[in-house]
Amino acid sequence: MSQQLTEKIDSSPIGANVAPSSRSLLSLLIPIALIGILLALVPLWLGDSRVMMGVAVLGLAFVCYAIGFNVIFGSTGQLFLCVGALAGIGGYGAAILADNVGLPIIVSILLATLAATVVGGVLSYVAVRRSLGVIFTGIVTLIFSMSFDTLLLGISDLTGGDTGRMIEAGRGTFLREQIPPYYVMLALVLIFLLVHGLLQRSYIGWAFRALRDNEVAAELAGIDVARYRVYGALVGAAMLGLAGSVYAMTEGRMSPTTFGFGEVDVVVLVMLAFGSIGNLFGPVLGAVTFTFVDELLIEFGQLRTIAYGVLVISLFLWMPNGLLSVLTSLWRRIRQK
Amino acid sequence: MLDVKQLSSGYQGNDVVHDVDFHVDTGEVVMIIGSNGAGKTTLFRTICGLLPASTAQVHFDGQEISGLPAEQVAQLGISFVPAERHLFPRMTVRENLILGAYPHKPDSETMSSVLELFPRLEERMRQHAGTMSGGEQQMLAVGRALMSKPRLLVLDEPSTGLAPLLAQAAYKALGLLRARGLTVLVAEQQVPLAMSISDRGYVLENGYIRLQGTTEELAANPGVRSAYLGVA
Amino acid sequence: MIANILDGIVFGLQLGLLATGLTLVYGLGGVLNMAYGQIAVVSAMVVAFAMDAGLPVLPAVVVGLIAGGLVGLLLDQTLLRPVYRLHEEPRVLLSLLLTLGLSFIIDGFLIWRYPLQALSLHIGGGAIDILGVPMRRGSLVASAITLMTFAGLFLFFRYTSLGLAIRSVIEDEEGARLVGITPQKMMRLILILSGVLAAVVAVTRSMVTPVDTTAGLSITVFALIVTVVGGLGSVAGAFFAGIILGIINVVAASYIGSYISLIILLAAAALTILIRPAGLLGVKE
Repeated sequence: MSQQLTEKIDSSPIGANVAPSSRSLLSLLIPIALIGILLALVPLWLGDSRVMMGVAVLGLAFVCYAIGFNVIFGSTGQLFLCVGALAGIGGYGAAILADNVGLPIIVSILLATLAATVVGGVLSYVAVRRSLGVIFTGIVTLIFSMSFDTLLLGISDLTGGDTGRMIEAGRGTFLREQIPPYYVMLALVLIFLLVHGLLQRSYIGWAFRALRDNEVAAELAGIDVARYRVYGALVGAAMLGLAGSVYAMTEGRMSPTTFGFGEVDVVVLVMLAFGSIGNLFGPVLGAVTFTFVDELLIEFGQLRTIAYGVLVISLFLWMPNGLLSVLTSLWRRIRQK
Repeated sequence: MLDVKQLSSGYQGNDVVHDVDFHVDTGEVVMIIGSNGAGKTTLFRTICGLLPASTAQVHFDGQEISGLPAEQVAQLGISFVPAERHLFPRMTVRENLILGAYPHKPDSETMSSVLELFPRLEERMRQHAGTMSGGEQQMLAVGRALMSKPRLLVLDEPSTGLAPLLAQAAYKALGLLRARGLTVLVAEQQVPLAMSISDRGYVLENGYIRLQGTTEELAANPGVRSAYLGVA
Repeated sequence: MIANILDGIVFGLQLGLLATGLTLVYGLGGVLNMAYGQIAVVSAMVVAFAMDAGLPVLPAVVVGLIAGGLVGLLLDQTLLRPVYRLHEEPRVLLSLLLTLGLSFIIDGFLIWRYPLQALSLHIGGGAIDILGVPMRRGSLVASAITLMTFAGLFLFFRYTSLGLAIRSVIEDEEGARLVGITPQKMMRLILILSGVLAAVVAVTRSMVTPVDTTAGLSITVFALIVTVVGGLGSVAGAFFAGIILGIINVVAASYIGSYISLIILLAAAALTILIRPAGLLGVKE
């Protein structure tokens, strides 16, 4: 059992997701189930406090964001600095569709997710067509992020501008209670992990690894790198949009800071750096650790921003492959003794 | 002047050049000949500090220079003209030449002698280096290298990309420099050209020095004749 | 309309000088400095403190310029050391991430300790008429200083051997090494210079409108946009892109609205990346 665990959590450098050629479905399902069980126990511990449950739900939302980003960046190497914006399309989109247009909640969520997926796909397509490298893709998506943020402030009739808006739809349902949203988000987390894991084990996943390791060789091997990059972006963007819209529905309110670059993208980057980019379970470890640390720091106001900065620097200096790889190499060394 | 012993070097752990020994005395012109892929470029880049060696003992005027970065090797008096030349494309011919003398201000005497050697450059002083033809760029690259009044001029395949007439003109210029007493180390695929100005030479094959001798000795060597001089 | 264009030029000149610092550091060393805006803010704060401590304006400004240069030097000597061990894309990425972290630390510190502090330099005297438009003296002095700085940079890079040496590293690093130029030394100089330029922009901006401790991020963003449009590594590009975008920004803001004008600027940068990644005057790869 521990053998399977170590084999799966490999210590590959950022992005090179080298995996053994055949893995059983069990080696995917068992850890996911474990995570699911562990996380499902959290409300037993925190369930009394509305505030703490709110933090927990947000934490799970971030796990979802991190998985989505992991699919886009970890699998296909596209630096999408618009995680918050894509989730925001889901969140604001669902709110507008449910309240202003009057569509049922599920339909609103689905359509908003679709919108985010399309935008993510377009961004990827454009980046791929213009052969933008990592840096330029990052800059373009960053520009998109900022434009989205500005747009939110601009069309304040629909979005509530700086102060944000509430969502009327869903009020009084289980979505707004204290504990059910947690399990809804947990379900999303587990589904996303499953999808990403299955993707990794499929032909598409193999194509992803190939194009991450050596783009030229992949092309020669017959992989349409452009197409697979877009596929990766579509899946990741869908995850982001879905997570954003569901989270918004459970919170009942949102503002530009809910989906801002500084609040979401930066945090997701740090989480993934913590947890190993490219690795399936990295986001979980990273997000959970980070949410803990963040909660501890919450009362320190600006010191928290300083701590973020120190964290970012130390992480990318000393643990560029993430916490997971540091842990696994430690584990390997212990086993050798 | 230049003493190379047991030089092995390559890329990412794989040596391309193995255990090379050779030397260049003051006032000589020495050639390293070999076909494509023999390792000439790797050898020169290592000596001149652009590539770290696996092992090497390189002495220049008695001083150990292996391991020094390229800019320090240049400051010690070795001017290297690589095959790709590495000119400054958006800077003028004049600026390229001035920079050759860095960190010193360009000596007007040296500038005149370089322009005398390559009159074409004088015509194009204000032209951007990137817009010049291959032959002119080669002239500029050599001219720039000469601006620092080097003790040793190292050239990697100066005939690259040049039409035969231009290549010959380039070597004629090198011959003039030789007559003025400049010490030259040149790597060349086009062996007859190299032989026209060299005193001694070494044959590099698959990263090993296989043969050495004076130009006459090499020219008479049947192996060299058939492989490099196109003689059956 | 003319008033807008003139205001746009004033703003644009500062954008250009700002972008110059960023673009030089990228063009020479492949480093993207996301803490650039913070360097400007820190310099402004130093000037403000110096003046509070009783120093007259001019010496205080000099102290601020020195502060800017020092931060640049510090960056080169400490945070960027690990970045220099990498090359190409990983180098840019790591520099981006590390300086981003630094920007958080500086922002957090400044906003925590001095949330209300701002620098504002009043240039006394009435308005002066330019082309029939009354321009504030502060704007004119700021523009004059910026133009003079540009002129100084132009002369430096054209006619001094150090300036030529720096340009050569941007042109072809290997070629520069072959003529005996040490790229690391040049990088250090450029970082110091970029710090000083950031300080100059902060000081001149404070003549037009107060510069406070929260301005860091927006300064970096504007610098980035202009750098991208002007071309990474091109000072002339930064100059022209700055003026063009400055005019567009002011004109759009007054006719349409400030939100839209920011989006227009962002779109300009995005379009540049998509249509001509080298920017207006950058090196075409």
